[in-house]
Amino acid sequence: MFDFFSKLKVNANRKNLKNRNFEFLFEEDLSGEYVVFDTETTGLNPKEDEILSIGAVKIKDNKILTSQTFEVFLKNSKEINSKSIKIHGIRPFDLRDAKTTKEGIVEFLNFVGSRPLVGYYLEFDVSMINKYMKPLLGITLPNRMIEVSEIYFDKTISLIPQGNIDLRFDTILKNCSIPNMGVHNAVNDAIMTAMIYLKLTKGK
Amino acid sequence: MSIQDQRKLIEAIHPFGLLSKQRMDALMQKIDIAYYPSKTLLISGSISSIAFYIIIKGSVTEYIDDEVHNVYGAGDSFDADALIYGNTKAKFIVEEDLICYEIKKDDFLDLMQDKHVQSYFLQDFITRHKQLKDYDAQSELSPFLISKVSDIFLHVACVVEANESIHSALERQEELGAKVIIVKEENGYSIVTDTDLRKKVLLGDNNLGKDISTIATKGVIAVEINDFLFNALLLMTHNSIKRVVVKDGTEIVGVLEQLDLLSYFASHSHLVAVQIDKAQKMDDLKAIGHDFKNLIITLRAKGVKVRYITKLIAALNEKVYKKLFEMSVPLELRDKCALIVMGSEGREEQMIRSDQDNALIIKDGVEVELFREPMMRLNGYLLELGFPKCAGNVMVSNEFWRRNTSSYKTLIGKWTYNMSDESVRNLSIFLDAKCIAGDCALLYELKNYLHTVFHARDDVLAHVAKAVLNFETPLSLFSGFVIEKERNDKLDLKKGGIFALVHGIRTLSLQYEIKATNTIERIKELNNIGVIDKTFATELIESFDTLNAIRLKATLEAKSVDEGNSINPRNLEKNQRDLLKDSFKVINKFKKFMSFHFHLNMVV
Repeated sequence: MFDFFSKLKVNANRKNLKNRNFEFLFEEDLSGEYVVFDTETTGLNPKEDEILSIGAVKIKDNKILTSQTFEVFLKNSKEINSKSIKIHGIRPFDLRDAKTTKEGIVEFLNFVGSRPLVGYYLEFDVSMINKYMKPLLGITLPNRMIEVSEIYFDKTISLIPQGNIDLRFDTILKNCSIPNMGVHNAVNDAIMTAMIYLKLTKGK
Repeated sequence: MSIQDQRKLIEAIHPFGLLSKQRMDALMQKIDIAYYPSKTLLISGSISSIAFYIIIKGSVTEYIDDEVHNVYGAGDSFDADALIYGNTKAKFIVEEDLICYEIKKDDFLDLMQDKHVQSYFLQDFITRHKQLKDYDAQSELSPFLISKVSDIFLHVACVVEANESIHSALERQEELGAKVIIVKEENGYSIVTDTDLRKKVLLGDNNLGKDISTIATKGVIAVEINDFLFNALLLMTHNSIKRVVVKDGTEIVGVLEQLDLLSYFASHSHLVAVQIDKAQKMDDLKAIGHDFKNLIITLRAKGVKVRYITKLIAALNEKVYKKLFEMSVPLELRDKCALIVMGSEGREEQMIRSDQDNALIIKDGVEVELFREPMMRLNGYLLELGFPKCAGNVMVSNEFWRRNTSSYKTLIGKWTYNMSDESVRNLSIFLDAKCIAGDCALLYELKNYLHTVFHARDDVLAHVAKAVLNFETPLSLFSGFVIEKERNDKLDLKKGGIFALVHGIRTLSLQYEIKATNTIERIKELNNIGVIDKTFATELIESFDTLNAIRLKATLEAKSVDEGNSINPRNLEKNQRDLLKDSFKVINKFKKFMSFHFHLNMVV
């Protein structure tokens, strides 16, 4: 039943597609791969804030294909405020070779294809992408979404029913004993999220 | 872990750090991260290796014939052999959930085109071991640059007043054993050397009643006591002089001779040896004790192999023993007995004075009681000099270790049929005996006797050899997992490795009637007669050296002797840890060899 509704939704979305070159987003995925992605933004409000960078990496079976890492920096309409620079560490200087949002989003869609998407608080990142995608192609990301914090919750709640589960990223990293090695940036966070995903789905 | 972070991590792993920028760039494009849950079988005889793994987190155990052969942890990589030779006898099983980098087989073989990587992975154990050691030595500070004038032996300065007569100044110089006379003048110092005496007294006006200042050379070249030795050397070279005066502020505290300076840089040992020979009384010998430790520290910092350091220390200790023997045994008794040292001292493998094992062999027909008094005195001296008391009471002060030749023979005879732990222990100690003073023929006679009675007694030998298997080689301790779990984060070098090697080699030496007592020399002898092959012999020697080097470092840093035997592998640098791990692998191989050689699986 649920399947039926989601199909309906996808089809409705597909009808809105303005550019036929992007039909591939709706085709059945045969690669067996997943894409983990993360964005760095100027803030936490999808309506006002903009994307600074997108980082993504593919997963196949039990492997994170870091050999095919995706990373792009996007030009912004506004000055980046100094508060957010402290979080994402992207300075105006780092954006000197940045691409236009249109170029960046297209590259990203080509990287992702119709593969399922995996992320941590994916909803936010997806709505950030959709914000640009909708005016550009008339559609929103049609891919299947997998939320790691949800898998983590399901796995953990069986151990501590009625417990309060701490879903902060660093806590999940720690409990999955995944090394927190790099600074926070889109690619790093995507790779670490990928590790969490593998640990939760492939571990015993 | 952006690409930059990953790159740094991989560059930190030897030999990837040696790759050129281009190769590294290319490599980074080919590395994936993989996750394997625990218990996953990665490589085995039937599952051929598809990639080269570098561990980010977790651990993997390598088994050969179902025995732990190696444990890999964060920063370790495996297994080049399986990729290069296409197959392996070993099984690699994930011990703790594994996150690792993977370089695919073809990419890894590509990487092997680089000669650094190739030479590293294609080398056999010995060369790789040496390369790692060299790599390690680079990090040591050159002591040549950091030694200070205060670190070295200074000669007493003979300082006299300007108006003293030449004759009385020379008398004073003779009394102090000084090489030069320093004359205190109104405005500063002047110096009288042998050259001055020759030119101005012997060839000039030889009136010894004149003031000493009349023949002195004005101006003294001096160095501050806190200055670097290197500067003192420069000063000598620069002014072409053989000595400099050492000052502490305005006061003269001694004279630094060029010979001492050079020998300090050469080995420093010459000085200690001379001091022992010169020693007249106990206080002199006591003063030297301190130099021993300094000598070890200096030599080690210079990168001298531990086996040479220990030999040197043994030679110096022997001098001390000889001196003490002369001081305590009356002349007429000296050639009627033999003073022997045993255990680590006998093997010339003791670095820090950790123990004393000594005994006296008395010639048949001489009254044993005559030696009680002198030996008590000798023992007292040793204790006074800081040789620790032997816990097992293996000392000349104990009647048991003070017998005549025939009584020792009875004792040896007992060892061949009595298999108590005590007998095995005493036999082991005695096997390492080395004669140090007195009539050494007495010891040779006993050694020959020992070899005769043990001839063809493989049953007893097997029993003695069994102790080799007493302690497990602590390879599993390298996995962080095990250490955390057992909360016992220390690893015993002596029990875990050194003992097995020393004892095994000792037993083999008894079987093949090898006279040498030093473990390395014994290994060489065993190789000469074909019991072990050349490669294995070198592996054993290098491993022994590594274990001792790490132990020495730990001992120098430790507060007590026992503490020096146990180390925490996590505190070691990656290279040291690899060396240690390699050595333990060799020890395991040796244990197998011993089991096979003496059929130990059949001995209960």
